[in-house]
Amino acid sequence: MDYWAKGCGLPRGGWYSVGVVALFIVLPFVYGNHDLLFNMMMYLALAQGINVLFGFTGYLPFGYVGFFGSGAYGASLAVLLLHLPPVLALLVGAVIAVLLALLLAPLLRLSGAYFAIASLAASEVVYYIVSNPHLESLTQGPYGISLARAYDADASYAAMVVVLALAFGVVVYLRNSHLGLALQAIREEPVSAEFAGVNVVRERTCAWLLSAALAGLAGGTYAWHVSVFYPKSVFDLNISVFAIVFTLFGGVATLLGPIVGTLLLYGLYNWIGISQPEYFQLVFGIVIVMLVLFLPNGLASLLRRVNVHVP
Amino acid sequence: MSIRPLLRFWLFAVAVLSVAFFGSTAVQAAPMPKEIRIGTLYADSGPFAVSSQSQLQGLEFWVDHVNREGGVYVKAYGRKLPVKLIAYNDRSSTTTAATLYNQLITQDHVNILAADFGSVLTSVAVPIAQEHKMLLFDQTGTGANFFTNDNPYIVLTSLPTSGIWPYALADFLKTQKQIKRAALLYATNDFTGSQAQTLRRRLQGSHVKLVFDHGVATSTSSYALLLHNVQAARPDAVIEFGFPNNDIAFLHDLQASGMKFNMVFTIFPGQLFALMEKSVGDQTLAYTYTYPTPPLLVYNKVNYGMGLNDFQQEFRQANGKDPNFLNIAGFNTGLVIQKTLQTAARLDQLALRRSIVAFSGRLHTLNGTFKIDHITGAQIGENLPVGQFIPGKHALTVRMLYPPDLATGKPVYPAP
Repeated sequence: MDYWAKGCGLPRGGWYSVGVVALFIVLPFVYGNHDLLFNMMMYLALAQGINVLFGFTGYLPFGYVGFFGSGAYGASLAVLLLHLPPVLALLVGAVIAVLLALLLAPLLRLSGAYFAIASLAASEVVYYIVSNPHLESLTQGPYGISLARAYDADASYAAMVVVLALAFGVVVYLRNSHLGLALQAIREEPVSAEFAGVNVVRERTCAWLLSAALAGLAGGTYAWHVSVFYPKSVFDLNISVFAIVFTLFGGVATLLGPIVGTLLLYGLYNWIGISQPEYFQLVFGIVIVMLVLFLPNGLASLLRRVNVHVP
Repeated sequence: MSIRPLLRFWLFAVAVLSVAFFGSTAVQAAPMPKEIRIGTLYADSGPFAVSSQSQLQGLEFWVDHVNREGGVYVKAYGRKLPVKLIAYNDRSSTTTAATLYNQLITQDHVNILAADFGSVLTSVAVPIAQEHKMLLFDQTGTGANFFTNDNPYIVLTSLPTSGIWPYALADFLKTQKQIKRAALLYATNDFTGSQAQTLRRRLQGSHVKLVFDHGVATSTSSYALLLHNVQAARPDAVIEFGFPNNDIAFLHDLQASGMKFNMVFTIFPGQLFALMEKSVGDQTLAYTYTYPTPPLLVYNKVNYGMGLNDFQQEFRQANGKDPNFLNIAGFNTGLVIQKTLQTAARLDQLALRRSIVAFSGRLHTLNGTFKIDHITGAQIGENLPVGQFIPGKHALTVRMLYPPDLATGKPVYPAP
């Protein structure tokens, strides 16, 4: 198998990742709305996290925000209770998300809509545990977190650039490795994949944990960036919905699909929201309906129809 | 030493100093803007939509009002300037709100930044405003986390911080000798949780004992079972702290259960009377206690802006409906902005904050006395009194009970 694109020294799709990451390094110098750029990176990372799970294994996690929120809380509490520097705290956030994913790994025994709904229920359970007033001494309960002393907009922006690069790296790896192939085989036909020697449970769990770690890192970085937030803000179902829609819009199991989906849809979301808010629901609704009717496999499928390789 | 190099040195020095002096003067004297740009957010969907739109309506009403009078007087320029309101829709999402607050500051270059409704949508604005050194006119975000000693870029305009809301309520309970046992039921969120904490603290050591103290999820929509638990504790007073949806569900279930308590207190009938009356009816609200706010509460000592009657009349003409408290909160934010611009010698953000500190405690609007904590910017003036709904011939009226200087009568206790 040809893992490397000829003559460019990076795995296939690597240059796209480098280009997008470089763009987000340069853009703050020419565009002032850094929160827009930060959020766009966050959704790019989350969309790639969804891509790892849904694109490569077929499991659609409606409750993906549970990992995001647990990462946000894990990182925040590491700063507040353990007095760790924020960068180390982000790793704690990722570890907490991975531990949660391990705890919820039995959900992978379900599939389709059952898995989607069960993951959503699980994220709600985590939300209610975190916001429980009886845990106020540990999680601050429903009263929110303040990381005002650790707040650093530039450093958290830089951290999100790293998280984004990591998310791209994971997808590039999966697109060019035996693990990625094995996962896609599992997605298409798990029984046949098992007969072919693929350890279905192990590979699937691996994708689940990778996906959770990305969400945990993104959540921790988001918490650092906003610095004051409530449980509802980081366990907001809309975060899952946005990441899923952006991934589906671009096309799953590709590197480029979620990138294009997020840049176009989140860009459109903000552009309409700022310039023509009264038409927001209408335009966004029409775009989604058109996608479902004519491009159910996302924009990437459009390119494949004309024989263009989508990394 | 020849004279020529010396002359050259002095000429050079004078030139450098001139550039430095006149250059810096040119930077300081920014050109006068054509208008004062006020940036804010609102939500047209999601859980905060109803409250947020009411608040925006009040601010828009203020903008229209000052523009009809030729604009707002800006002391920094010694003349009136028209006001332009730039309002973006955050759809009740904190992520979207963060982007839009940043948009207002970095792209629209607003002169004044006002937050959306409530603590959740204000929370993301606090660090962004601080980072950009922009004074945040926090309208109704009462979260205690926002107000810290090291952040001068925030001022709470139209409500006191939630932790001090129950001051009058606690004092009122302590004056009622027949109330010995109280039940506290509250929604577990920052807004009502901090009120529960304050009430607990202030009742400690008094003759009023909390015989029931229970937090419920903010999404709670059925209180039937909880009410039975409350009844089993045999309280003389039941205090329920919640958001409007909680208060409606609580009062509705109370009515449906047929239970009677000698005193029942809820928050939002005093703020969103029309909504609560429509949702639970006059009969349920009769004899219940609340924090009355304008327009139910009339402050006669108004030294700035319209009084309540004039406001109600003009608002009705402009919008075809009676104003609620959040309309008044938005309008009051406008008044605070107006006073700030009228008194600030410069338009830079810390100068605005200094001018607010200067008039704090001396500004009496239809929303009460505007007074902030000079260090944190938290509102400490617009305290909330305690009132009781009394059935009249045609409608409910509010009897003010506490504090004594606002009292218009005595409580009907126990409730019939």
